[in-house]
Amino acid sequence: MNLLSGIGVTADALAAQKTRLDIVAQNIANAQTTRTSAGGPYQRQIVSFETELVQQGGGPALQGVKVAGIAPDRSPGQQVYNPQHPDADSSGFVTMPNVNVAYEMVDMITASRAYEANLAFAKDARQLAEKTLEIGK
Amino acid sequence: MTDAIAQSDQTYGLARRLLDVSALRQEALASNLANVETPAYRRLDVAPDFAAQLKAQMAAGVPTSAMDDVQPKLAEDPHARTVRPDGNTVDVEHELLAMNQNSVEYGYLTEIVSGSIKQLKMAISGNVT
Amino acid sequence: MIPVGSISSSPILPPSIAPVAPSITETGGSAPAAGGFGQMLDRLVSPVEQQQAQADRITQQVLLGDSGQLHQSVIAMQEASLSFSLMVQVRNKLVESYQELMRMQA
Repeated sequence: MNLLSGIGVTADALAAQKTRLDIVAQNIANAQTTRTSAGGPYQRQIVSFETELVQQGGGPALQGVKVAGIAPDRSPGQQVYNPQHPDADSSGFVTMPNVNVAYEMVDMITASRAYEANLAFAKDARQLAEKTLEIGK
Repeated sequence: MTDAIAQSDQTYGLARRLLDVSALRQEALASNLANVETPAYRRLDVAPDFAAQLKAQMAAGVPTSAMDDVQPKLAEDPHARTVRPDGNTVDVEHELLAMNQNSVEYGYLTEIVSGSIKQLKMAISGNVT
Repeated sequence: MIPVGSISSSPILPPSIAPVAPSITETGGSAPAAGGFGQMLDRLVSPVEQQQAQADRITQQVLLGDSGQLHQSVIAMQEASLSFSLMVQVRNKLVESYQELMRMQA
């Protein structure tokens, strides 16, 4: 039953933004990780979205958003001169992860805002449905 | 039997039609909020010519219960301003405001419809509750 | 004598209305124009049936997920319920007046 208008699209968006927030948190946590199990510094992960059409029971076909994939950002990290560091190479340079914390913070704020907006919408949809059920009572 | 009453009550019929519009607008807002970051996404809203069509039919004296061919549709909002360089026209604050307004409108319309129905109930049962 | 068959055969009516039929035909007292009364009752029932059918149609669409118009379903059901209440009240009044009539004759 399609009782809440547009809720399918909202649910997808919430899931997508949540994934994005999770990845941002992971990036920030690993901003200083110079050695991973795969060898080499941590590589920033990027979430890519794609649109998909969602149509629920007789309503209009709406454009929803979905996580297409999580891929590593292959751009090289900064090289910092620090010969004392255990991961320094032969010339004393350490390759840092390609995570820019400031940029990640902006991403996090945007994702949070989008997440909360969609959440507010879901609550609103439920209130509307409850008002509908009160008709005539 | 209450058809005759429902048909002569223009306000009731109008409110009932407008509920369709409000529900449709809710779907548009869902789509807009979900696509707040989608590149080149243009925000949707109920097509603006619906209000004009409705008014025209009312002016022509068509009873609201017979106005079935006037259906609201979703369309790209022609007045939306581009918010981002990639052509996306969704502004989160604007959508949330529109959502709140739509909620109130929906509540108002259900109140009108509900009121008419309750009045009829009282008339039929003879009880004033 | 009074063709109340149309009422008792209607599927939406509760059983309480059906038993009226035998007692009316059994007493066999002088009846008003038979067609008039039956027609009046028919006029009572068919719009109610139509509204019920309409409400059912819309509600089924919502139940099966073919439509998201919850408000139309709720409103249609309320309207059908109103029609039904009105019909029951009218029926009660009719039965009351008939019984009054019968009492006067007895």
